Amino acid sequence: MISLLIEIREGQIKDITYEMLTLAHKLAAAQKQEITSIILSDNCQQYADTIKQYSHKIICVEDPLLANFNTQVYLPVLSNIINDTKPNLFLIASSGFGTDLAPYLAASLNLPLITDIFDLELNPDNMLARRSMYGGKINADIISKSLPAIATVRVGSFEKILASNLLIPNLSAEITKLPFLIDPSILEMSKFIEYGEVPTTGIDITKSDILIAVGRGIKEQKNLAAVEKFAQDIGGTLACTRPIIDAGWLPKDRQVGSSGKTVKPKLYIALGISGAFQHISGMKSSENIIAVNKDPEAPIFSVAHYGVVGDLLKILPLLANRINALKG
Amino acid sequence: MDIIVCMKMVPDTSETEVRVDSTNKDILKVRLIYTTNEADNYALETALLLKEKLGGTVTLISVGPQKVDEVLRMGLAKGADRAIRLTDELFDKGDAWTTAKALAQAISQNKYDLVLSGCIASDDGYSQIGPTLAALLKIPSAAYVNKVEVLDNTKLRIDRELEGGILERKEISLPALLTIQTGTNTPRYASIIGIKRAGAKPLDVFDAAKLNLDAQALAGLTELDKMYMPKVESKAQFIQGSDDEISDKLATLVKEKAGL
Amino acid sequence: MPIESIDKDIRNTIIELGGTDAYKCYQCGMCTALCPWFQIENVNFLVNRIPHNVKLGNIMTSEVKQEIDKEVEELFRCVGCDNCLAYCPRGVNIGDVVRAIRRILVDYDSLPKTLKDIIAKVYSSGNPLGDAPEKRNNWAKKFDLPLYSPDKEYAYFACCMPAYDNQVRKIAEATIRILLTARISFGITSDDVWCCCETMRNYGAEKLFQDTAQININAIKQAGINKMIVSSPHCYTAYKNDYSELGCKVEVIHTTQLFAQLIKDKKIVPIKPLNKKVVYHDPCTLGRQNNIYEEPREVLKSIPGLELVEIENFNRKDSVCCGAGSGGLWLDWQKGERLSDTRIQQIIETGAEILAVSCPYCMQMFEDSVKTMDINLEVKDISELLAESAGT
Repeated sequence: MISLLIEIREGQIKDITYEMLTLAHKLAAAQKQEITSIILSDNCQQYADTIKQYSHKIICVEDPLLANFNTQVYLPVLSNIINDTKPNLFLIASSGFGTDLAPYLAASLNLPLITDIFDLELNPDNMLARRSMYGGKINADIISKSLPAIATVRVGSFEKILASNLLIPNLSAEITKLPFLIDPSILEMSKFIEYGEVPTTGIDITKSDILIAVGRGIKEQKNLAAVEKFAQDIGGTLACTRPIIDAGWLPKDRQVGSSGKTVKPKLYIALGISGAFQHISGMKSSENIIAVNKDPEAPIFSVAHYGVVGDLLKILPLLANRINALKG
Repeated sequence: MDIIVCMKMVPDTSETEVRVDSTNKDILKVRLIYTTNEADNYALETALLLKEKLGGTVTLISVGPQKVDEVLRMGLAKGADRAIRLTDELFDKGDAWTTAKALAQAISQNKYDLVLSGCIASDDGYSQIGPTLAALLKIPSAAYVNKVEVLDNTKLRIDRELEGGILERKEISLPALLTIQTGTNTPRYASIIGIKRAGAKPLDVFDAAKLNLDAQALAGLTELDKMYMPKVESKAQFIQGSDDEISDKLATLVKEKAGL
Repeated sequence: MPIESIDKDIRNTIIELGGTDAYKCYQCGMCTALCPWFQIENVNFLVNRIPHNVKLGNIMTSEVKQEIDKEVEELFRCVGCDNCLAYCPRGVNIGDVVRAIRRILVDYDSLPKTLKDIIAKVYSSGNPLGDAPEKRNNWAKKFDLPLYSPDKEYAYFACCMPAYDNQVRKIAEATIRILLTARISFGITSDDVWCCCETMRNYGAEKLFQDTAQININAIKQAGINKMIVSSPHCYTAYKNDYSELGCKVEVIHTTQLFAQLIKDKKIVPIKPLNKKVVYHDPCTLGRQNNIYEEPREVLKSIPGLELVEIENFNRKDSVCCGAGSGGLWLDWQKGERLSDTRIQQIIETGAEILAVSCPYCMQMFEDSVKTMDINLEVKDISELLAESAGT
């Protein structure tokens, strides 16, 4: 059996859940195993309805104390479920929740854990997981010496189950509700208070998967508004080079480069950046780099994966229109 | 408040190429220098700020060979009071679980209110030791913490960083373990007077036997099969045409790569 | 400060690491006034306090975080230009004193992160840019140049900046065109020769310097190089003054020296006129530190039509640093605190249309300044001007 913990935050099933389901189905098909989804919530039914078509079994534990994620509360609940059901593999999101929970859970149960995996093979008596090391510069295969084992799954490593090309059997999970038998005094150890937002001055461009960076080619401060809008449209964050900081157009925490931040987002769009080495050293490890610059000889093209030789002030409005059209 | 900070010495690869060695089980280290794991510097700074405010002690602990003393001395120079190094062949053979066990055994012999570590190690990137250690010490923990407020002598209010700029605010009772997010504070430099004093501060070394741990207790639960290089990056591919044509192609590309 | 509170341990450690000159200082303040930072209004860098505080063992003795941060920033301000040494009535080598202090700090990671990263980059890749060692000679591919072998007279080492950074690659390319036109017998150094690490030594990375020096000295010995042409004054001074103390016997020649000789020998003849006003900036490391003032000027004067002007009061031994020395290239001070901007201001006042330089660091600093100050001034290396005029 392959089990996974459904990730819910503020009433929403997070995308990573559907990505983990894709992985679970890949493995289940190969190993002829069943998939059990586990829902911990103050109101399980709505979530169970959403995912029952992707699971053989659903285990629900419902209690007001499970309304928000809390490692200390989840721990006894999940420990009991794992001890009772003995899954070969237990998947947890490699998210803010999962990184808090998984090592604690694994250690409490004395089970092997491999964190932040982007691929996984399940064998009869072990699992082999693929993950990055050294900030993505190296990949490694890690083997659990035994099963059951726990893995946390890197966000974005798998297609969501609907978008995947997997042949999914017609399922409608049988739902088991387990009682919540936790001593509420556990909340004295660790209590959820509220969700908050990171103060806007504390923008951390190193945490953004998509960065749209501008350089001197932006020419005037007023042009920044269009770039900012474009960044929002594609779910990215605005970043910049040193001269933009000097001009006082953007705060210091937006700067990429040797005296700013070193970033490696999934997508880095460099607009009007020629690519002084101080800048390049801060962004060359990005997964995908698209550079737009007037000068075909600009050093930015030596690290870019895709290049456009042209005027960003002409191309950006056209591009923004098309993105909005594509998004519908 | 008595605080224990877990420190790791790592090869400094943030700005360098990394290659796999001939065993395929490790990276080529001949041309690398070693340094304090970045996130651990933020954990240490968190500890030093709390000590400045509340008094108490800061104890550093690390697992590794004698070279690790460089990292511990740096921490002592910044203001920690003493350091412990755990050194044994048995610690090197295992995995994150092994390391956490050794740390837990050593830490449990000390008086402490708070255990801190960095949220992630820049080498293996496991993000695993902190909460594992908390489980072994049977104390509550919180990972990726970027704000610590002391409510009274028994409780902390903390912020944890989740995805998408969202914070999880919680209260956690002491003793507790926190893993500290990078960027939480500005780690200090060591002053020369601090460097001078560091030399006289205690640095104790323990092996497995002294911690009453044997090979069986320290056996890892996972093992590294192999390391390899990720796919090689392609060279820049130029998108050509009129501004309109370029924008069409670019829009498709951006949509795909941005995952819209 | 009462005598009993003097920290003799700190004082003696700095003295042992090379700061002996602190004792010579009689606090006249000449160094502070002559420091290039003195020309920048919002920077208050009291150089003369450094030897005084060393004498008292009162260097970085604060335990308050903000004060430590400030002290580290100040200690890494010195660009090692030696302008103070040139005029010090007591011959205090402030550069040595500052370097001794930095050596203590570097061992404990108490240095700006960009400088720390460069140490890791040089160890891993042999150059401060962190680019692959095997790509060191990629710039020369289009010339199809041989590596140095003992049948050649000279070896050419391009310095890491022209070798790896597209912005200043033109320096190495122009030099090669001149060497080929003059039919010089030469080969380029192999990628076994790393960064000279003169800059890193100045910012306190002594171990890196010693390790790299051994690698380079061995590589040069192995290759059998006797004479080496270099484009950077920093490589020049490293080999001539520092490596020679470590037993390196190579004769090192800066490109401007070679070019002046080639012109004298008529091996290269500048014919194409350049009817422009050109000003020459003396790099500290070539001028003040190695007394090479006239050769660069001879090369420029040999170009027909070229009108050579001087920066009044601030030329030759009174040249003002571009700000790149001792790690300054990577420190990237904020606008309003850049030595290169101050220097460019002086240069604009000469009315020159072209700024001629003879150092890759200077070129980088000035090109960036010219861009950010949005002024009309071409920055050219002497090799570029000569190569063009000689029709190479």
